Amino acid sequence: MQLKKGFAVVVAAVLCTGILAGCSGASAKTDVSTKEELNYACTKDIRDINPHLYSGEMSAQNMVFEGLTKNEGGEVKPALAENWEISADGLEYIFHLRKGVTFTDGASFDAEAVKLNMDAIVGNRERHAWLDMVNEIKENVVVDEHTFKLVLKHPYYPTLVELGLTRPFRFISPNCFVNGTTKEAVNGYVGTGPWVLSEHVDNQYATFTQNENYWGDKTKIKTINWKVMPDPQTILLALQNGEVDLLFGADGDQVDLDSYKKLEAEGAYKTYSSEPVASRAILINSKSSITKDIKVREAIEYAVNKTNIIEGILNGSEDQADTLLSKGVPYCNIDLKTISYNQEKAEQLLEEAGWKPGTDGIREKDGQKCEITLSYNSKNAQEGTIAASIQADLAAIGIKMNILGEEKQAFLDRQKTGDFDLQYSLSWGTPYDPQSYVSSWRIPAHGDYQAQAGLEKKQWLDETITKIMIEADDNKRAEMYKEVLTYINDQYVYIPISYSKTKAVAIDGLNGVTFNDSQYEIPFEKMYFSN
Amino acid sequence: MKHYLVKRLLWMIPILIGITFFAFVLINLSPSDPAEVAIRVNEITPTAENIVQMREQLGLDDPFMTRYLSWLSNALQGDFGNSYANNKPVGEEIAKALPPTLYLAGVSLLIIVIVSVAAGVLCAIREDSLTDKMVRGIVFIGTAIPGFWAGILLMWLFAVKLKWLPTSGMTSMASVILPAVTLSLGYIATYVRLIRNNMIQNKRENYALYGRVRGLKEQTIMKHVFKNSLQTSLTALGMSIPKLIAGTVVIENIFAWPGIGRLCVTAIFNRDFPMIQAYVLIMAVLFVFCNLLVDLGSVWIDPRRRREA
Repeated sequence: MQLKKGFAVVVAAVLCTGILAGCSGASAKTDVSTKEELNYACTKDIRDINPHLYSGEMSAQNMVFEGLTKNEGGEVKPALAENWEISADGLEYIFHLRKGVTFTDGASFDAEAVKLNMDAIVGNRERHAWLDMVNEIKENVVVDEHTFKLVLKHPYYPTLVELGLTRPFRFISPNCFVNGTTKEAVNGYVGTGPWVLSEHVDNQYATFTQNENYWGDKTKIKTINWKVMPDPQTILLALQNGEVDLLFGADGDQVDLDSYKKLEAEGAYKTYSSEPVASRAILINSKSSITKDIKVREAIEYAVNKTNIIEGILNGSEDQADTLLSKGVPYCNIDLKTISYNQEKAEQLLEEAGWKPGTDGIREKDGQKCEITLSYNSKNAQEGTIAASIQADLAAIGIKMNILGEEKQAFLDRQKTGDFDLQYSLSWGTPYDPQSYVSSWRIPAHGDYQAQAGLEKKQWLDETITKIMIEADDNKRAEMYKEVLTYINDQYVYIPISYSKTKAVAIDGLNGVTFNDSQYEIPFEKMYFSN
Repeated sequence: MKHYLVKRLLWMIPILIGITFFAFVLINLSPSDPAEVAIRVNEITPTAENIVQMREQLGLDDPFMTRYLSWLSNALQGDFGNSYANNKPVGEEIAKALPPTLYLAGVSLLIIVIVSVAAGVLCAIREDSLTDKMVRGIVFIGTAIPGFWAGILLMWLFAVKLKWLPTSGMTSMASVILPAVTLSLGYIATYVRLIRNNMIQNKRENYALYGRVRGLKEQTIMKHVFKNSLQTSLTALGMSIPKLIAGTVVIENIFAWPGIGRLCVTAIFNRDFPMIQAYVLIMAVLFVFCNLLVDLGSVWIDPRRRREA
């Protein structure tokens, strides 16, 4: 009896707390028109935002530092260079610098500052090995105070695009250099951008304030508070608690798809989704014992039901990919063979390859079971679910697929050594696609390289990619891209799944939320509050 | 006692050497090449060239024992090398992150002591009553809920719904409440049970009976019972201090608390070996020293153990 009474008291207490919670949870819409601070939550600290190195957050680097050019709307536009001329042989670029621009410490932005920065970048060539552009720079020349000349070794076609990337070609005040360079460290983060980093407490927060002397349009919001919250669940609760105004991130790293959909459905927040920016695909290793057979790779492609993945797992939030790179990507609007889900065709191909159904339903050939493994970074729950869907599709045609979710570094190690059958691959998105992404196929540390290593024409592939980068004639370049992408497509090394999108969630009243070309940048300068 | 102290201190030398060796060997057990990890963590694509350069920079080409002895001698002087992730000295990073963790652990300890003693004594005094059962029931639920889930629930209730406290961060005095309560939940359950059971056991000892026979007030008897029951709990509490500090790993991540727990998780994800090594070493040393202090304390308090020592 006593126990029953006790239980009743506990239940009553819980109910009361719940009701109390429910009552006070209802809040009236607040007036944000006078708000001058934006609270942004990120799972990561901004860290070292030296624009010439890679340990900091790209979106923070983009707030403070600018380049000669910028990539906007798929085009190269002027930034710190007002205009430029390119020599007929494509080896010399003469940039006319914007006049009256100063770094936020008062140092003037001139050709000398550009040369110092460019020399510092070239002086740390090993660090930038992923970017061919750095290897192509022969000389940095000061022509006059406001004119800078870049001399290349070859007519490297993505020059203007890559000069506009978030790093490394951004300019930091020469006063921040340590021992005349930026290679090891800098003594401050002073740029010419719309924001000034005014405070940073490691792993807690960073405060960016408006650059009052900015040469362009000044920001509408005075302060950005970058709050570090490692747990995405905490970020969501902080958003609901009014401590955070904006979530912004690529590939579900800040807000997972379920939460995004839930917030969208609630209607209390504004949700934003960018145009497709990068390609999500599954790599099939052409060197592995089972998948080295092109017929098996083709069969796997036919067996994967992408509609299930797009509708069932990605909630229709991404567009289905039929080719590795979207037709909107430069040089990729070409006719390629596409594959639609066809289980019978997949089974027929496996039969032709000699894989016969075994007694347990798994196909066999020469006493070997048709068993493969898909490995993924276990931190990405979405990839685990996609893997389970593919596992079911392959089981239906007699292929046993094991799923191996592992810690990020172990996953990367597997990429490097090529010790995988199937693995995830995500392209870098605009403005890196296609040149930087395709260029990375030649580097053995990438999964792409390893998956392609068993192809008969791998050497030709790598050599052609090298030639593309320094081909001056646009038509010839397009033709070479076509050859490369057609070959890769016809070898069934990639199962294109979807074209990923960057997502954002903002409180009602925060306007001007848009997306830059690069999924790693956040255009805070365009945002403003109004009711 | 002196002899016991010297013996224990001497024993600590091989234990500490073993720990330093273990902490260092971790780097070699990992399948990842530290040079490559150090490059990748800065989002640079590893190439044959930069891997060679990094190996040289990190001194990875030296023989194992040379590297171990050099690391040990530096560690003894407080130099744990530089972090792979941000190139800052690991010692400085830990020194910066330690105070928030100690603050969190300290507040948690205070909550544990206050709540456990109050609830434990109450349960013992009202043994088998409705209050006793209810308190034990609530404590049982507290133990059963995993820390990360309890943290999220508390955050939802007290921050989002009731708007009493901030969700996370170390921005005000109030921001320590939720993480500290979450961290203490699991311990409170243990200590309430411990104090209650010890007190009930002591209540039935002859000295309590003798007190009653002498006509002492129940309150006075319970004071003696309480004092005598505390010894076991104090020993257990002593060992909980390093556990509390090490146990902040999950809580600090949920509540965005800038302590060493979070530093450690970030280091694990980045495979920032120098940071992981330093964390393991510091935690292990903390455990060893707390163990020593607790042992010495109990020997000092308990005359029976003093004789054994």
